[in-house]
Amino acid sequence: MKDAFANARHFGERLPGLAKDFFHYSLIGYFFETKSINDAFIYTKYWAFIWGNIFKLVIRMLFKKGPIAVIRLFIQYPWILWFLNATKLLRRLTKGRKGAYLESTALVIHAIAVLLVEKLEEVIYQPERLLINEDLVPPEIAMAMGLNVWLVEGMGILLPFLNSEACLGFIDEAENAGMNPDSCSFVKSAVGMVIKNQQPRGCAMVSSNMPCDAGMASYTYIEKQFDVPTYRVDVPYHFHNERAEKLFVEDLKGMIAFLEKHTPGRMDWEKLREICEKRNRMMELELELWDMMRVSPAPLASEAIWLSHLFLFHWFPGNKVSIRHYERLVELAKKNLDAKIPAVENEKYRAVLWNPPFPQFPDIFNRMERAHGITLIMDSMSYNHHNLIDTSTPETMLTGLSKIIMDGPMVRHTRGPAENYLDDIFRCYKQFDLDMVWIANHVGCKGGQAMNGILREKCREMKIPLLILDYDLLDPRIVSHEGMMKQVDDFMETVMKPRQASPAAQ
Amino acid sequence: MNIFQELLESPQNELVEQAVSDGRIPIGYSCSFVPEAFLMTDKLFPVRLHAPGIAGTEIADIYLSNFICTYARSLLEFAIDDRFDLIQGWVFVPSCNHMQRLIDNLEYLQKPAFSHVLDVPRKVTEATIAWQAEELRMLAARLSDHFGVDMSDAALNKAIAEWNTFAEVIQSIGDLRKRAVPLITGTEFHKLIMASLASPKNLILPKVLDFRKEIEQRAAVGDFRARLMVVGSHLHDPDFIRVIESQGGLVVADLFCTGSIPGFTPIEIETKKNGDPIKTLAEHTFKKTLCPRMMEDFDRRLKTIIDTVKEYQVDGVVIEIIKFCDLWGVDSMPLVDALRKEGIPVLKLEREYSLGGEGQLRTRVQAFIESMGK
Repeated sequence: MKDAFANARHFGERLPGLAKDFFHYSLIGYFFETKSINDAFIYTKYWAFIWGNIFKLVIRMLFKKGPIAVIRLFIQYPWILWFLNATKLLRRLTKGRKGAYLESTALVIHAIAVLLVEKLEEVIYQPERLLINEDLVPPEIAMAMGLNVWLVEGMGILLPFLNSEACLGFIDEAENAGMNPDSCSFVKSAVGMVIKNQQPRGCAMVSSNMPCDAGMASYTYIEKQFDVPTYRVDVPYHFHNERAEKLFVEDLKGMIAFLEKHTPGRMDWEKLREICEKRNRMMELELELWDMMRVSPAPLASEAIWLSHLFLFHWFPGNKVSIRHYERLVELAKKNLDAKIPAVENEKYRAVLWNPPFPQFPDIFNRMERAHGITLIMDSMSYNHHNLIDTSTPETMLTGLSKIIMDGPMVRHTRGPAENYLDDIFRCYKQFDLDMVWIANHVGCKGGQAMNGILREKCREMKIPLLILDYDLLDPRIVSHEGMMKQVDDFMETVMKPRQASPAAQ
Repeated sequence: MNIFQELLESPQNELVEQAVSDGRIPIGYSCSFVPEAFLMTDKLFPVRLHAPGIAGTEIADIYLSNFICTYARSLLEFAIDDRFDLIQGWVFVPSCNHMQRLIDNLEYLQKPAFSHVLDVPRKVTEATIAWQAEELRMLAARLSDHFGVDMSDAALNKAIAEWNTFAEVIQSIGDLRKRAVPLITGTEFHKLIMASLASPKNLILPKVLDFRKEIEQRAAVGDFRARLMVVGSHLHDPDFIRVIESQGGLVVADLFCTGSIPGFTPIEIETKKNGDPIKTLAEHTFKKTLCPRMMEDFDRRLKTIIDTVKEYQVDGVVIEIIKFCDLWGVDSMPLVDALRKEGIPVLKLEREYSLGGEGQLRTRVQAFIESMGK
């Protein structure tokens, strides 16, 4: 009773703060802040679209499955409720942004909302065709086989965007089950969700040796928990040669045979051709966007580039929403470029972010734009350099896909000699005429941490300003948001300011 | 026994020095996926890289960070300190992220004259065995080019036969641990294994044979409360085993990178088919190594542990994991569950590469033995 009273009092004390927050993140809050009717219109449009998608999911389910099933779904997957924070994320990421740049950011959140609703409906209505996939095994082949792909790690990345503490319970669960606390929180989060039985179970599972030891090893545990047939693809260490390509193509063929044996999916090469062609289209559009991003000041920046690639290329390649999304981004970039409007009004520094971005603190880029004029131009997850898929024969398609997998982010950077990691950074730096390199120094990414010594010395030689930003991918308890911001502020104060004062030092 | 202890006091012991002065070529390696027999061809001999008595890894920490396992950091520190100056070639396996980055940093900082990365696949199929054989062929060609050594099939077959002779001796000593009253302690056995891995086999073999004679005369090795098996990653310091045994837990079986199960299983030579020694070595490498880096090997690893527990009458299993090792750190989660389901008591210990926190280790082991009712 005493505790209940104390809790009620505590809640009462928090109420004014909560109300203030609610107002700030509400549509009305936005209207109070924005000075442009056009921006208000853009924001309202996407705000309504996002809510519309959430309602669409619930209403369709109510009609198709009934209210009990909806309640059951929320009990089984309580994390779905975090999606109610989607417009809060919209507010956080669009703060201070205007015009086409504002729209590009809103567009990404909207695209993710639409595609996630599509994905959840696949989980709900077609569980028998659900394939559990590791995040770095591209889904094109399974999609061509008529299977629906669920990424085990998908929610681990997405939920912290919506609430930075959303994955803490899963992380703790994995650690309590005996997983080493120093392993990657991304992996711990996926394992924790499995332990809590909050991941959909498919008819089969495909994993790989990518990108790191913890990720790879976790699938032994997940396989035991799910008790489903599992196939593992194995990317060689030295993959930039024909011999490795051949081995990996054989591996992919083994995966297809496995899926035909253990799932209702059947290989449809025509469908694969269609998906690959659409993926190629996405890539062409992305390259067009990159070309425009080379202009300084950049016409778009940040989430429009990295968040789009992260979700759409990894989970929804060839999807019509993904293509439309990139078409629209190109249009918006052109619009700004033609009108000579920079995305970031006060663009002072162009940056690349290496290693996975900050899901538990995605608004850091927005804040740094406003505080220091830092514009995020490119990131390692988006930065690829491979050819379009040759769709002339099944063999060429598999070869094309195998190259994309092996050359994918977090794959080519985590295997092969150090040059695979380092040269990309310097190539990107040059290609996009950048001013600084940010390393997202995720505490659980040991392979990345062990490259910092060499990178630091190389950057010093080449006079490239380097910020190694310590943080944890999903766990803000390791380094707080304030701690992350302080690292950037200190870097700007001690490294960039003196450089600006003395150009000769550059 | 002291002879083996002395051989472990330096990363390049007197037998290595003797072999080098005889014109032989030491090749350093750090992973069990490098077939030792392969590096015993012609003038070559393998030296398992270890960093005995490492006091700190200050310089290595700058490059590898504090989050990399202390084995990788210790090797880099020793390499920077020129403690491996006799080693003329390095053969690595990207066995884990830590080893991969050790290779990167070592090559960046030391620029060794001969360094080779053996790309060992992470699953075993016909295609990957063929790949592994090809990898060995490429390594053979490079060794032959660089050092002018004979890597022909005949030379390889000879090396395999030599290695088999050695492995059989080690196995015969290891088998003594199956007895109800073992004739050798785990500490002694580990010193023997580590010294063997760090020395030219032909030079240490007479000493091993003498040692076998000596222990065969023994009646027993003393009173112990429990029979234990140690499972895990790189364990180089026999003192770790000594501390466990000081609490009454006799280590009778080992399944770790530098252990004998199944590391010293002789290589099956296909004499009838006039077999390809490289392919034989490729197949053998996968059979004799039980590491969580292999993606589809959990059940075989588990079965080997369970079978060993029965065969060596083990009372409990100690899983030792070097801090920050993700492979063992994550893999131990289902492993501990599975062993407990089989009714096998398990103690999971996190440790550093060199022995530290001896008091804590004693307490944990003591409590474990007591929890088994011994």
